Amino acid sequence: MEKVMCYIPKTLNEALEIRNKEDVIVLAGGSDLMVSHKRTIGLTPKFDKSVMIIRNLPEIRKIYMDGSECHIGAACTSREIAESPLVPWHVRQAASRMGAIGLRNSATIGGNIANASPKGDTPGPLYLLDARVKIASTDGVREELVSDFIIKFRTIDLKPNEMITEVILPLSEDDFDYVFWHKVGTRKANAISKVTLSQAVKFASDGTVCDYRASATATGSKTNRSRDVENIIIGKRIAPELIEEVIAAFDGIISPRAMPEFRRESCRRSIRRFLTEAEKRRIEGCRDKVIDTYDGYYVPCAPVCRLS
Amino acid sequence: MVTEDISKAIRRIDAVSKSKGTIKYLSDYDLDDYLWGRLVRSSIPRGIIKKINLPDLPEGYFFVSAKDIPEGGKNYLHMIATDWRCFADGDVKYVGETIGILCGPDKTLLEDLYEEINIEYEEAEPAVSIDEGIACKGGAFINGNNIHCSLKLEVGENVDSVFARADKIIEETIETGFQEHVYLETNAAACKKVGDKYQILASAQCPFYIRKSIAPVLGIKPEDIVVQQTTTGGAFGGKEHFPDVLCGPLLLAAYVTGRGVKMIFDREEDIEFSVKRHPSKVMFKTALDKDGNIMAMDSKVYYNVGAYLASSFVVLQRGCFHVTGCYKFPSFRTEGFGVATNTFPSCAFRGFGAPQTLFAVETHMCHIAEKLGIDPLEYKSRYFIKQGDVTSTNGRVVERVMIPEMLNQVLDASDYKRKSREYKYGSGRGIGISFYNHGGAFTGNGESAIIKAKLRLHKYPDGRVEILCGQTEMGQGFHSIMPKIVSRVLEIPMEKVVFDDPNTDRVPDSGPTAASRSTMIVGYLAEKAANLMKPRYDKEEEFEVETNYEHPEGYPWDQASFQGYAYLGYGWGVCVVEVEVDPCTGEVTTRGIWSSHDCGHLIDELIVHGQTNGGILQGIGWASTEVLENVKGHFKQTSISDYIIPTSMDHPKQGVYYVENAYRWGPSGAKGMGELVFNGSGAAYIDAVSRAIGKRISAIPCPTERVMDYMLHGHDFKEEF
Repeated sequence: MEKVMCYIPKTLNEALEIRNKEDVIVLAGGSDLMVSHKRTIGLTPKFDKSVMIIRNLPEIRKIYMDGSECHIGAACTSREIAESPLVPWHVRQAASRMGAIGLRNSATIGGNIANASPKGDTPGPLYLLDARVKIASTDGVREELVSDFIIKFRTIDLKPNEMITEVILPLSEDDFDYVFWHKVGTRKANAISKVTLSQAVKFASDGTVCDYRASATATGSKTNRSRDVENIIIGKRIAPELIEEVIAAFDGIISPRAMPEFRRESCRRSIRRFLTEAEKRRIEGCRDKVIDTYDGYYVPCAPVCRLS
Repeated sequence: MVTEDISKAIRRIDAVSKSKGTIKYLSDYDLDDYLWGRLVRSSIPRGIIKKINLPDLPEGYFFVSAKDIPEGGKNYLHMIATDWRCFADGDVKYVGETIGILCGPDKTLLEDLYEEINIEYEEAEPAVSIDEGIACKGGAFINGNNIHCSLKLEVGENVDSVFARADKIIEETIETGFQEHVYLETNAAACKKVGDKYQILASAQCPFYIRKSIAPVLGIKPEDIVVQQTTTGGAFGGKEHFPDVLCGPLLLAAYVTGRGVKMIFDREEDIEFSVKRHPSKVMFKTALDKDGNIMAMDSKVYYNVGAYLASSFVVLQRGCFHVTGCYKFPSFRTEGFGVATNTFPSCAFRGFGAPQTLFAVETHMCHIAEKLGIDPLEYKSRYFIKQGDVTSTNGRVVERVMIPEMLNQVLDASDYKRKSREYKYGSGRGIGISFYNHGGAFTGNGESAIIKAKLRLHKYPDGRVEILCGQTEMGQGFHSIMPKIVSRVLEIPMEKVVFDDPNTDRVPDSGPTAASRSTMIVGYLAEKAANLMKPRYDKEEEFEVETNYEHPEGYPWDQASFQGYAYLGYGWGVCVVEVEVDPCTGEVTTRGIWSSHDCGHLIDELIVHGQTNGGILQGIGWASTEVLENVKGHFKQTSISDYIIPTSMDHPKQGVYYVENAYRWGPSGAKGMGELVFNGSGAAYIDAVSRAIGKRISAIPCPTERVMDYMLHGHDFKEEF
């Protein structure tokens, strides 16, 4: 077997230098890579290329605000994200229900994006909130929408010498009147997503919708969101016929292969539920921001985060 | 003088060592001088092996297969039947069938060599499901009809003549799926020749089964093999016969290489290539009179046995014996069929065939009641079986049946009657109820005719007493139960009672640790032995007493016709489950679980409580999330991230109750309970879910997407079947 190297750089610059010289596998938390490369019990995982561990690079371990934008370092773990009051609600929700506790202590947001799994937990909220990834290389720094960066199943727009360093969130729940995030997992804890829907709506003072967003994961080869679909209802007042129009259009942008009826129907019902309930609450003047799939929905594992 | 009730919980003997991780499992053993073994398996479900292309094996590396079996050796494993081959030879019958064992000192190199092995096949069309097996897809490969085994039971008037005068006949098919055991510790075993005997170390339930099963491979006597059980991290039936599948090849490898050989499965390997619970299909035909009363129930029971019969006929028998559940019908008939398919052979799993038919009859009874517009509880209670009533095998129920008392406990705790009235069908909330039992120990006269259990107690000069029997601790608490029983009788501290993992050369054969028999049968032998030892304990320095199983007189059984007293002591159970179903997604949230069980007098309430919690959760897992599909002979779910067992987050704290009903022939009045507590929760859960969505559910598992499917396309309770 050919020998491969394991690099553990101390600074981001050092990491970028290594990445510039050699096509290394970038490993952050390892929760995907160590599993996909594992061999039988007791043996070291088998990598065909050198590995660079970036878990402890200080530059990409921070969560901070820059103006109104929240910056999350690529090597921040799901647990750190779930517990940070700076992070938008949708993202915290997704991070808090990702896998099991042990996994949340190691899995990183950069890894979750780079893995580009259609079942990944964080891309749904990131698409919803127009999140950008910051990408660095020895040539410099660039930014790209997460929704463009993830090209398709297991494919990302990253050059061999580049690294994801940050995720930037220009929006948060404060920019919306009502929010929705619901993961249908394989079970109530330690679960992979069967389908997850993120939604948010904002009303103008005249009661018309001034912004509406919906993104779904595990419904196709990548996270699904379409501004065209959302535009159907933007500028208008929510009405049952319009909701059905949105539902039909959203149905057109998703392409689930396994369990298609279940995934489509869950999305349909969740969109109907959210928009109907949001309109009801708007009319009633109810300020409870979070809408779930039904009233009194009982979540036995209490979400780590609450609305501020 | 110890006077307090034996039920009072003690700290388990293994509590600290298992919590701290200091106890040694097989993978913790220092076996550095052993070679590693790696099973080479069939990658196709059915076909002819044309060629095995091996890489060049470096010195010290071996590939051992059927052709290495010495003169006088036989290529089979003895697991009740003797059809399961130790190595596939010429053809393969299922994915994962052992073709050979690759052995060598360096595990990494062994894995590299393993990846280079290429086997050429001539593939044939497999039969995978029960229906495909019956239809002999690809041509029959067993008995000309793919039926491994069958039996028929009848009670009362011939059902056909009852059907002729029935007002209404309801036909319904209920199906259940595969289930994987998911014991915490994966399968592991090792074999080495020590002196003139082969020594086996194994994570296993039944050490004596192993030596009997594998001895024919070398043409030696079982006594030429010594099996030492190692600390076993869970089994659930998955380590009853299955360790033989590891130990057979290991024995031959040890013979061929002259070295010790060890094997530890990783999780994926263990899920993909091990035995499972039998999938089932039960077809009911039930005759009702004009008032909706059951006149007769006819059923056909099909179990997916897989490629080899092994122990499955016994599983099928138990399934058929339990198809009447906790009920007595005026007239009854069942026919059971063990169907051959090209899947990994099915084998023992907590309940041993009973859960499938119990789920089926409970669900069928609910559906009849709901069709008639009667609360399932009210309808089921019309048919509760009582002491002295005729059983499915024309025996009688020997003990008092305390279902009414158990029912009261559970109804009070769950508020079932109000909720059942108030939660409308399809409202998103539902409550369900199930009744179940489990015949303790081996069927009929099996304990006296086949097992002939034996136990010895040895007193040492320092006052210590050692329990010598073949029963194993596998997490269920037996290492604590037995010393408790013995120390109680002898009135000595528990610390003075020694009970080690069995070694077949040191202990007498007390039968397998299976069939909910250990406490009930072997615990009773220990109690009797302790009573024999007691008067001599202070007088004699060192001595042994031995007890042998004796079957109570007056309860005949005929194994040829399956007629008579199948079980002398049943465990009984009632379970209520309350759920809420998400109208948008079909997700089920369990709101409450309440159960009551009759397991005789409890030996240790905390151990019984733990078994109850776990059994109920495992039963709900089987009915809900534990989807295990077999696609073209391959199991599709092969890791614990896609084979979904429930977590403690999925189901709330349980209300757990017991009734006191001492069993005549059990230690301190205890009966079997390990399997009982699995048998009914699935049916109660499905009853609750189906009421919440207002649709009949007739197949499990029923994960979220299936619930949605039933919500969209299921049949209302009032619709015709």
